[in-house]
Amino acid sequence: MAALTAARTRRRLAPYVFVLPFVAIFAAFSVYPLFFTARLSFTSWRGSGAAEWVGWENYTYLLTSSAFWSSLANSGILWVLIIPAQLVIALLAAVLLNSARIRLRGFFRVAFIVPFVTPLVAVAQIWVVVFDTQYGAVNGALNLLGLPDIGWLTTTVWAKPTLALLFIWKTTGFIIIILLSGLQSIDGTLYEAASIDGASRRRQLTAITAPLLRRTIMFAVVLQTLAVFQMFAEPFVVTQGGPYSSTTTAGYYLYNHITRADLGTGAANSFLLVLLVMVLSLVFVRLLRAKD
Amino acid sequence: MTSTLAPRRRERPAVGSYLFLIVLTLAFLAPVVWALLSAFKPAPSIISAPLTFDPSTFTLANFTAMFEDVPIGRGFFNTGIVLVTKGTITLFFAPLAAYAFAKYSFVGKNLIFGAVLITLMLPTIVLIVPLLLEMKLLGWVNTYQALILPGAVDAFAIFWMRQVIAAVPDELLDAARVDGCGEFGIFTRIVLPVIRPGLAGLAVLTIMNIYNDFVWPVIVASSERMATLQVVLSTLAQNITGNRIGADYATVTGELLAASSVALVPLLVLFIALQRHFINGILAGSVKG
Amino acid sequence: MRHPHLNARRRTAVIGIAAATALGLAACGPEITSDEGPTTGPGSSEPPAENQLVAPDSPEGEITIWDRSGDLFEVFEAAIPAFNERYPDIVVHHEAVDIDAKLQNTLITGTEVPDGVFLDDARVAGYADFLWNLDGVLEPYLGEIAEYKVDVNSTTEGIFGVPFDSNPGLLYYNAAALEDAGVDATTIETYDDLLAAARDYADAVPGSAPIHLEQSPFLAQLQLEMFASQLGTSIADADGELRLDSPEYEQILTFLDTVQSEGLGTRAEYLDPTDIAELENGNQVFYPWAIWFDFAPQQLLPETSGDWRAMPLPAWEDGGARSGVMGGSSFVLPSESENADLAWLFYEFLMFDEAGYTSVWGPSEVYPDGLNTSIPSYAPAADPSEPLFAPVEALGGQDLWAVATEAGEQIPGTVPTPSWWAGAVEYLGNDLQRMYDDDLSPQEVLASSSEAIQTNLIDRQ
Repeated sequence: MAALTAARTRRRLAPYVFVLPFVAIFAAFSVYPLFFTARLSFTSWRGSGAAEWVGWENYTYLLTSSAFWSSLANSGILWVLIIPAQLVIALLAAVLLNSARIRLRGFFRVAFIVPFVTPLVAVAQIWVVVFDTQYGAVNGALNLLGLPDIGWLTTTVWAKPTLALLFIWKTTGFIIIILLSGLQSIDGTLYEAASIDGASRRRQLTAITAPLLRRTIMFAVVLQTLAVFQMFAEPFVVTQGGPYSSTTTAGYYLYNHITRADLGTGAANSFLLVLLVMVLSLVFVRLLRAKD
Repeated sequence: MTSTLAPRRRERPAVGSYLFLIVLTLAFLAPVVWALLSAFKPAPSIISAPLTFDPSTFTLANFTAMFEDVPIGRGFFNTGIVLVTKGTITLFFAPLAAYAFAKYSFVGKNLIFGAVLITLMLPTIVLIVPLLLEMKLLGWVNTYQALILPGAVDAFAIFWMRQVIAAVPDELLDAARVDGCGEFGIFTRIVLPVIRPGLAGLAVLTIMNIYNDFVWPVIVASSERMATLQVVLSTLAQNITGNRIGADYATVTGELLAASSVALVPLLVLFIALQRHFINGILAGSVKG
Repeated sequence: MRHPHLNARRRTAVIGIAAATALGLAACGPEITSDEGPTTGPGSSEPPAENQLVAPDSPEGEITIWDRSGDLFEVFEAAIPAFNERYPDIVVHHEAVDIDAKLQNTLITGTEVPDGVFLDDARVAGYADFLWNLDGVLEPYLGEIAEYKVDVNSTTEGIFGVPFDSNPGLLYYNAAALEDAGVDATTIETYDDLLAAARDYADAVPGSAPIHLEQSPFLAQLQLEMFASQLGTSIADADGELRLDSPEYEQILTFLDTVQSEGLGTRAEYLDPTDIAELENGNQVFYPWAIWFDFAPQQLLPETSGDWRAMPLPAWEDGGARSGVMGGSSFVLPSESENADLAWLFYEFLMFDEAGYTSVWGPSEVYPDGLNTSIPSYAPAADPSEPLFAPVEALGGQDLWAVATEAGEQIPGTVPTPSWWAGAVEYLGNDLQRMYDDDLSPQEVLASSSEAIQTNLIDRQ
């Protein structure tokens, strides 16, 4: 009896012990800076000296600043350029990789994940070189086809698609694997039943695969929405937010405040961004759930 | 588990499918292959003839120039140290905490997990200034602990492992308890072995994140002694474009590609060696349909 | 060997600036140098009274000096033995460092702070909180240093950098190509003359676009400030108030807009492959730029090397100043460092001692003919009749020293660069490009940039 009580006590206490190391690190290096940032967002502080309390001033400045809204618009456009295309490609690839008819699936899986594991700094350098207007390989190929040079990274029209392409190239492999995991959890007998009923393969895709994959797709969309709106390293290394701020994403705009020592505004900007991303995530969750 | 899409009676060569997969493979591999090959070309021809590779002009000149200019060995060494320590800490304490989140109820659980989710949505650059000031207070600037502890056992790792551990059947844990297993024993002897694929997935993602991180290291480890590989790589561009005698566009490009190649090969090799674990691991960790 | 300002394209690609530029930039309120010392600044917790550097009693100890990697690092490295002949007991640890990325973090955290640092003039005022005030030690030399150079290193508190080089703006021109086209460039005295010469050249050489128009927003803004400096103005006045919307700037932009709209300009980024191609094929023959453009004919233009010449910039009106300043660097001494007083001896020797400045600008292993991408800002070193570097082969053996030192003497005085200068590139630098795109008129550039800089930068200081 006593041993049983002791075991119960241990069981009650165990989770506290288990989370302790994590909570210690988390509190010291995430929660503390988070509170610091939250307080900062209501002040004007330039990194030294006393911070001046300004209330909601940073927030109102941002909400009335055209640069803030255009950074959100840039991220929104990138989202539109990236997510649908990436989902279609990833879904097709995942369905094929899940099909026993396809040979060399192991090879393809590795090939698709290669971009995901290459360091972004290295990839970004490659992008800069390959998409150079004058000497890049891409324009070189266009010239071979008799087409004129395109200012991939130097014109406002093309810089966003070029950056979107980098993002798609870099992350689609990961999305393929995530979708594949969803596909593998679908019961194979459903397809057999459907094909006995004479359903075409396309019909099977829309009637069985898509609905059952909804949660996985939602997971991927939420994950990528977070990534697109926080996108920073890509424009930082490839375009520095240009030309004419056309690739100044929400995440990069945030960084601009920091470089200007406008730390309070940077903090306020990040909270607005978190709010937006949260709302977007909830919307996607709702949308995808509602169809059930 | 694995399903087949193909109904037996409509077996036909899937030309379109292969075409799609092959085109996708080419698109995904081409930039990397191009960079690796170009790194071995004479620098001027990288820009004058970007689309061709002439094996007779094979050269290591870009690499020798790059090794001369850049402390890349030091970068590998520091990255190695951070990788081993930070990786071990994350891969042990993240599943341990996630186990508590997934299988126990305790005071403050929802609060802490809510905080984890918020951090997941917070752009990391915004925490950098407060973190840097914290490092100064602790006297940790230019130390390994500053590279290792912040970001160890991160919110994503907790989120991911909780997902994995939630799928472990409670009956399994209860059976172990009946057999007299202690709580920590259940974790090490039952949970850890069962979640091995998910843990492997987290391992690869963690290794990737640590290996590729450059924002925080550049800021907190400003001394060259402490520079990690990505720091070396990201400052290389500036150092060589900015200042080298006679550095022109082609030379710079050659050195950049050489450095990029050197940086991406280890991870590529590691990944190809571990690809089965990695892919199965991600399969284990992501949300199922 | 490219000049610091050539990094513009890549410089932003270094994240250290992030937290960095952040701290300490604008907070240089007067209380920082009050008698109690800084009240809270993270980087300056133990400042000596008044933050005035005092020369050391005994020249003995070790110093750590940061320089950018590259040509100037080699130049200063080569000068250390001469310094040690004078001061045998000072050991110099000379390190090549990515200063833009590292300095600010180091100053904020106060860890492993170097004793002396090479720094862009434009950044000195922004760091003043973290630096020694040099009024006392520089006093004997101030009267002999180019006025504008003292100004850019000063705040209302005093001077915070040991002035290094002077970078006068010059008009580089392809003498051979112009002569072939029958255009006499040597008679150019004003920007109207330059326009006329450009029109003649464009008529004579179909397809040419003789004058360089800078496409990098950062460098275009830097060049604009060179033109403004000729007219004795700059983006902000001594109190940091914006003075962009002025007749001077309108005159400059109208000139640039005319070049653009008449098709007289080659629009390219400084010395990028397109720019080089247009310089080599004779389409682009006029390059109003800082002295450091001479790197191009020496290193990057094999076809036209030897054809190029330099002359003072044209004047904005008859008899106006024939040069302005574009770029430049100085040395700063962080107040938290161990041996800044010994580092002062190092810079005093390099800049103000004949043995020192001769070893910097004179022939060295890196520059067999001497360091000809800048001239000294210290007048006794910049004597037009006593060149430190030899005539430049790539300029057809021209005596660049004489041209540059004479031009340098004409640069009007100026005021410290505001700490938000680089942030303004997003507005002014970009709007300039929009003018070159034909989207904005000069008046619109000035109006919209002024408004944006005021609301987004100055009002948020």
